[in-house]
Amino acid sequence: MDRRDILAERPVESGRGFMPGVSINPARVLFTAGLTGRGPDGNLVSGGMGPQARRAFERLQAVLSKADARFDNAIKQLVYVTDIDAYNASGRAERNKFFGARPASTGLVVRRLADPAMLIEVELVVDLGGSPSGKPLLEKYNVESHGGDFYQGVIVNCGRLLYLAGQVANNPDGSVAGGGDWRRQAEKVYENLSHVLRAAGASPASAVKETTWVLSIDSWRRGGAPVRRDFYKGDFPASTLVEIPGLARPEFLVEIEVLAAIA
Amino acid sequence: MPFSTIATPEAKPVANYKMATRMDGGRLLYISGQVAWDASGNIVGKGDVRAQARQVFENLRGVLRAAGGDLASLMKITTYITKLEDFPAVAQARSEVFQGELPASTLIVVKSLFHPDFLIEVEGVAAV
Repeated sequence: MDRRDILAERPVESGRGFMPGVSINPARVLFTAGLTGRGPDGNLVSGGMGPQARRAFERLQAVLSKADARFDNAIKQLVYVTDIDAYNASGRAERNKFFGARPASTGLVVRRLADPAMLIEVELVVDLGGSPSGKPLLEKYNVESHGGDFYQGVIVNCGRLLYLAGQVANNPDGSVAGGGDWRRQAEKVYENLSHVLRAAGASPASAVKETTWVLSIDSWRRGGAPVRRDFYKGDFPASTLVEIPGLARPEFLVEIEVLAAIA
Repeated sequence: MPFSTIATPEAKPVANYKMATRMDGGRLLYISGQVAWDASGNIVGKGDVRAQARQVFENLRGVLRAAGGDLASLMKITTYITKLEDFPAVAQARSEVFQGELPASTLIVVKSLFHPDFLIEVEGVAAV
């Protein structure tokens, strides 16, 4: 491990459980899907924010353990909540029980997560260290049979990371494809994604982590999710699906950002 | 520069950012979502998204410098705002800060950030 915490040490950061920046030598890096408070039966645990947060971190712990990692190896956390007051009252304390070292962090209040009753979703980037020699470029795995179209953890073994801008349904002339049509916008977004991946010598199977930002999760499931399934053909990335109130233009219904890796 | 830029004729950026960046070497730096805090922890520009954006990019630059890089080291940024109407002011502040092209970029309007006074948060990934 060769981690460096980048300190600013302003009063706002000390004691708040996160670091302004964390850098690593990216020999082996694990990207997790956004995990939530679903119990072993697949249903959301009862009791609100506290139990949901605890469960989300327990599930992340299982993903980390499978890669022989701990929370202290996390370099970045992204916490999505739908109720900030509930998080401050009973979510943050649960989180702090799991972490010793401080990762870089972003916290967002979003409109909705996969299930309308879901209050929190957390994703991590984790430094695994060690040698990538003899390992495949990508190791995708699950620790539960969740039935979803994603992997819970994807390890990149010494690949070159490829960061894509968030893709939207724009035509080369700058106009927006699809109007209010979810399926058409999804097709255009994935078409744009394939162009960019191809230009980088990558393919849909090269995707490591995907974040799908939509104006309506219900509409996305009907119109967009089938397009997504056709695109990945079973070789899914770790992923997060979030409902938000807006994107850069009012016409955009969906924006998808992908992190990929190539040898 | 420990990263390179990917461009395509078919999929084009909708503003002045890069479509994709590929890390070719160096260290991978993840930067926390930066908000308009000054060094004492006070919120700069309460109610003024342009002032907040300037402070946010200053803070981002501060973290990058502490890691041995600068704004040109950024491969990807994500800008979160709370109102779409604020986007033009944020775009202008970004153009003042980034001479030339931005890194690969995503813009999202969220319901809110972690404090009701925050109007903008920007996180980044860099190669340093």
